Amino acid sequence: MAAPILRIENVSKRYGKKDVLKGASLDVNKGDLKILIGPSGAGKSTLLQCINFLVKPDEGRIWLDGQEVRYAHKRDLYAYRQKVGMIFQDFNLFDHLNALENVRIGMVKVRGMGKAEAGERAVMELERVGLKDHMQKYPAQLSGGQKQRVSIARALAMDPRVMLLDEPTSALDPELIGEVHAVIRDLGNNGMTMIMATHQISFASSLASEIIFMEDGRILERGTPDNIFNHAENARTREFCSKITELYGER
Amino acid sequence: MEEWLYIQTEVYPALLKGFWVSLELILPSAICGLVVGIMVGVLRVYGSRPVMAVANAYVAIFRGIPLVVQLFIWYFGLPYIGIYMSPFTAAVLGFSLCSGAYHSEYIRGALLSIKRGQMLAAQSLGFHKVQMIFSIILPQAIRRALPGCGNEIIYLIKYSSLAYMITCIELTGQGKILASNSFKYTEVFLMIGACYLMMTSVAALILGRLEDRLRLPGFEHHRI
Repeated sequence: MAAPILRIENVSKRYGKKDVLKGASLDVNKGDLKILIGPSGAGKSTLLQCINFLVKPDEGRIWLDGQEVRYAHKRDLYAYRQKVGMIFQDFNLFDHLNALENVRIGMVKVRGMGKAEAGERAVMELERVGLKDHMQKYPAQLSGGQKQRVSIARALAMDPRVMLLDEPTSALDPELIGEVHAVIRDLGNNGMTMIMATHQISFASSLASEIIFMEDGRILERGTPDNIFNHAENARTREFCSKITELYGER
Repeated sequence: MEEWLYIQTEVYPALLKGFWVSLELILPSAICGLVVGIMVGVLRVYGSRPVMAVANAYVAIFRGIPLVVQLFIWYFGLPYIGIYMSPFTAAVLGFSLCSGAYHSEYIRGALLSIKRGQMLAAQSLGFHKVQMIFSIILPQAIRRALPGCGNEIIYLIKYSSLAYMITCIELTGQGKILASNSFKYTEVFLMIGACYLMMTSVAALILGRLEDRLRLPGFEHHRI
């Protein structure tokens, strides 16, 4: 078996006396879609934010493409972050830039590309998420689903090796979730490696290569969607899955 | 008739001369003050602890000491340690540093109001701190600080009238000379007041236009 593209070993995070993350380990192979599920406060967001060091883990090591990330070295950290795209629950588009500029700015400022070249690439990425007609609009003029698609285009423009998605559809109207899911599904079909936290388990089970159930800062159980949703070993996993199925409909 | 002649031959040329000096004081002071204010504001929010402390001390001093005392120190005090400045230079320096201290407070408030998500998004794309501040945070913060900074610029126009205290004879200085020669204090100073009102009105107009230009779609001001 090929070496994992991303290897996370024993990552822990403490806030004061509270252990938010208690030694999470994860191997992600190329093309995998790992889905993190679990109640709020389980540490899903913290794990994702630790993976690209938006939150500095207290312990643990991370490797990308077999190379350990030396996140204390600023230059290495910035280079690593370019290769790990992040999608946030509340989009976090840059409010003062229109859709095109939002996608372009990272390429221009971080990768040092020319404005014209970066602009062409930005148009391409926006077209890929179906927003070519909206590229002159500012974030405040876009719907939630459109904003999230712009933010996906913005991350893709940096040519990430891995994408981290932190509840990408939790802030969206039910009607808008579909358009974002379609984009994510498309990414998965094109072989993008992703780790996603979500409560949308019907979507998760149709796409995931592995479901990871987290609670109280720990990974309690992991397995194929069928294993986790239908034959979970842990009583707590079964309880959570039945509740979430009730809430988010049939799988 | 005699009055009119006095205004035409003495008041008008003197005030016009003073007006240009005032304008020459105000324009560079406004620009330098704003630049100093933005830099100090950024350092007060994102600087390391010692840098932050120095920037805070600067603001405490320049906001806390009366401007006229500051001007006296620049012009009459510095020669004691061998630094000589023209009245004009001392005035521009004094105004810029004082104005910068006030601007930095508006900028600081605006910087603190930018949501953390904007920074997380920039960091996750690989921005380093300086890039993030200058291309993501400041462009948004300056828009929010603009009404306050405009206020400070208007205030600067009026406190430029202190320059004559260190012998830089601008509009108010010319007025003072005219009035003490003719004893027509009321008439002369009413005219001077009108001149300042004109300058502040034009400044307010320009600042309003600038605010409109920088306004982002979707962030328009809504009347209730």
